[in-house]
Amino acid sequence: MIYYLPTIRSRHNGFESIANLASESKKLLFNKLEIDFSRCWFFDANMAAPLAAVIAGVADNLNSIEIVNIPPAIERILRKNRFLTNYGYTALEDTNRTTIPIQRLQLSDGGRFEDYIQHNLKGKGIPDMSEGLGRIFKQSIFEVFQNVVIHSGSRLGVFVCGQFYPNLQRLDLTLADGGVGIRTNVRNYLKRNVSSVEAIRWALVQGHTTKTGSQPGGVGLTFLKEFITSNEGKIQIVSRQGFYEFQSGKEDVFKIESDYMGTVVNLEINTADTKTYRLMPEVSPEDIF
Amino acid sequence: MSKEVIVRIFDIVGGPLCVSAEDGQIIYEKIAPLIRQGHKIVVSFDRVETIISAFLNAAIGQLYGEFTEEQIRASISVRDMTNIDLSLLKRVVDNAKVYFKNKTSFDQAWKEELGDEE
Repeated sequence: MIYYLPTIRSRHNGFESIANLASESKKLLFNKLEIDFSRCWFFDANMAAPLAAVIAGVADNLNSIEIVNIPPAIERILRKNRFLTNYGYTALEDTNRTTIPIQRLQLSDGGRFEDYIQHNLKGKGIPDMSEGLGRIFKQSIFEVFQNVVIHSGSRLGVFVCGQFYPNLQRLDLTLADGGVGIRTNVRNYLKRNVSSVEAIRWALVQGHTTKTGSQPGGVGLTFLKEFITSNEGKIQIVSRQGFYEFQSGKEDVFKIESDYMGTVVNLEINTADTKTYRLMPEVSPEDIF
Repeated sequence: MSKEVIVRIFDIVGGPLCVSAEDGQIIYEKIAPLIRQGHKIVVSFDRVETIISAFLNAAIGQLYGEFTEEQIRASISVRDMTNIDLSLLKRVVDNAKVYFKNKTSFDQAWKEELGDEE
């Protein structure tokens, strides 16, 4: 089959197009998927993560993958972040040091993820951030990764990729998996068939967790949301047929038409933020327990 | 109470990143027996750079499933934590208290969602 990929921005319709590819190629078996970029005028580099996750699902059904007709500017971006190296293209050196290359990791690869983050965040706006902000950002990324490890059941692993926009002072980091999605976990926990959108909303409430064992949960996502609020950044979550975006105190949540088979989380942080760390309330070690 | 024991997180985890529930579980398995034995425990986060809630849920939050708040308060103290990490730990602890208070036994009978429909 041939799929004409349109322009992919890190926005609702960009995620929708990638989910559409997942839906359309769902039944393809022992065949060939040709992704044709001739109708793609721009591609936000961090979106390589969800695209790679979808392609991994197609390849898992023993299909061959070919990427064709890429406009030169997009080709440069996707060779710099190494997305295209799996499809016969050579890597291009990232002389501006603005890309965070794509990496596929298994859920058991926690150590490799740590190395990846420690290595690749260097020089991506971090020197301009206060030390405290850099720490909270890393903390947020690890919160997301651990959520994938605990909840996704992604046999295909997790795909991570990012991009630093120095002029905008924004840094995007995206994690995408091919797991069950938030919906399945929430349905199994609540024992009713909630929609993807309801499931995302439910999961974002402080104290809500689908964990049922001896380790509590339900803190990570609210922490993330508070950090993004204070930082004036952005968080996007796509899970199955649900899309969620939180930016400037405003939440957008709606159903997408196609089923993205898994979950994507994109964190966009404002690297010029100097206030977040200072605004944290003082907590005394004596008042913890 | 017997002897005060210092639990050095950096040394046990083997580095500055406390970013997995798995590592948190290792810490829990060090601390829980010490409380049972009546020790005073000082948990030191010296040299730790990054801590996430999943780690703290496993290492500390989980204790509220076995011990009372009074027992924990009398046994454990923390040190060498930044304000941001203290704030996260406080949140994890408050959440754990509620989690175990409301915990109902999970009904294993409902194992699967009913289909792919929205």
